[in-house]
Amino acid sequence: MNAQAEFPIVPFDVERIRKDFPLLARTVHDKPLIYFDNANTSQKPAAVIEAVDHFYRETNANVARAVHQLGEEATAAYEGTRNKLARFIGAGSPNEIVLTSGTTQAINLVAYSYAMPRLKAGDEILVTTMEHHANIVPWQLVCAHTGAKLKVAPITERGELIVDAFVEALTPSVKLAAVTHVSNVLGTINPIAELARATRKRGIPLLVDGSQAAPHLPLDMRALGCDFYTITGHKLYGPTGTGALWTRKELLADMPPFFGGGEMIREVRFEGTTFAEPPHRFEAGTPNIAGFVGLGAALDYVESIGRECIAAYEGELRDYATAALKTVPGLRIFGEAREKTAVISFLIEGAHAHDLATLLDHEGVAVRSGHHCAHPLMRFYGVPATARISLAFYNTREEVDRCVAAIGKVRQLLA
Amino acid sequence: MSAAALYPQVVLDHYRNPRNRGRLDGCTHAADGVNALCGDVLRVELDCTPDRRIAAIRFSGEACAITTATASMLSELVRGMDEAGVTSAAQRFERVIEGAGEDRDLGDLNAMAELQRHPARRKCARLPWAALRAALAGRSHTTTEQEPA
Repeated sequence: MNAQAEFPIVPFDVERIRKDFPLLARTVHDKPLIYFDNANTSQKPAAVIEAVDHFYRETNANVARAVHQLGEEATAAYEGTRNKLARFIGAGSPNEIVLTSGTTQAINLVAYSYAMPRLKAGDEILVTTMEHHANIVPWQLVCAHTGAKLKVAPITERGELIVDAFVEALTPSVKLAAVTHVSNVLGTINPIAELARATRKRGIPLLVDGSQAAPHLPLDMRALGCDFYTITGHKLYGPTGTGALWTRKELLADMPPFFGGGEMIREVRFEGTTFAEPPHRFEAGTPNIAGFVGLGAALDYVESIGRECIAAYEGELRDYATAALKTVPGLRIFGEAREKTAVISFLIEGAHAHDLATLLDHEGVAVRSGHHCAHPLMRFYGVPATARISLAFYNTREEVDRCVAAIGKVRQLLA
Repeated sequence: MSAAALYPQVVLDHYRNPRNRGRLDGCTHAADGVNALCGDVLRVELDCTPDRRIAAIRFSGEACAITTATASMLSELVRGMDEAGVTSAAQRFERVIEGAGEDRDLGDLNAMAELQRHPARRKCARLPWAALRAALAGRSHTTTEQEPA
């Protein structure tokens, strides 16, 4: 099949960009790798790999303690990533950024430090049907501890949040709302600014899981208007074990520490301890310094391409892939929101998602299969699992064509 | 296609035309097994004789080719077995999928030997065994995480 004529190509030198990612050159089962599992984790540009390598070869030292030269350099590099992240997401100040191991830790930090001390029996936390387990389970733990209840805002069959129902659900008993910016299964982009206007009007803090959004969309915290936002570094072309929580200074100032230990204190006496100011109050112990140095390089790399450019290219690739997949008989796509990223979940009649993924792997195509850590969403669609293609700016139309051809072969084998 | 190693004709045949698929009205034993990997649910129903041997077996549920074919192959193997026999067969099957080589007594199930190169998919083949053993042990529910090998 060929849909090239229908979808004009954005000027974007994808072949040059692919050369920046060493892993993309490898083969799998003697076939050139087609990496379509970017919503799971992204590949890393050489600039990131080299930044981590350089850190360990030249700069390695602990941060915020040592007064020697290496310690100064390591601290500057680590804090440099905080500054870059602040600019990357349009934060008011780097002091609003807590560096975490990823989104899961960031949400848990809010759950334990913000929600746990405040919520009580009778209160409610509002989430949506399309949340990842990382934006469900921490709130269930808060509920179990405080007697609060979880409330769920519904979605449509197309995979869009029903905004009116969400707003209606914002009753006085709701003390926190937690919504994903982009669904990891459906690709749906939620209208966060609109939701935030509704939550602010009612004085309800809004946490946004930005794990799937930050790699693909331009971000501006001031324009979004939410109260907490989380970032996952390894999906953003950075190393695993990196991420961040952004929140307003006044909220952060009012939160007790989550972990206790080194680096988060001002003075420790056996009679009692005073804590460092945020964000360091929330960064006990030695952090993943090399990882954050790598994340800084990843942010530079993404900025060098430009997020508007990335979103435009990925948008066209998404439309191209969607049209190509729809030519496969018996293929059903889950999630057809008007606003979505290049994430396409699907199933083929007569073929289980795991068989699809295993057989596609033998064709060199890496896709995710399973429940995608979203059991409630799978239940909503009445399927145990789906296969999922998630594209990045280094993917191409040729790869989409080869993937669709492979899906056709698999379909013949199984169905 | 090259992936045929995990999906040879015998597997595809059991997948497309599963033996003993269905329900057993008034069965003596039954259990639902859940695959922790994907959430697939497979139900096994048994009619056992007074001396606790399997007289009839049926399985039901929507599952992948590996689970469905394993359930189909297993259903042909275990008729007449008691719990000890099933436990022994399950352990021998486990050795096959871990790469110990062919086990003539297991018949078609040897086609699953390729799972030695797909550790992530072994749970799919373990699910029917887990459900069967749970049913025999009088438990109504199990997962691939729970069952001893």
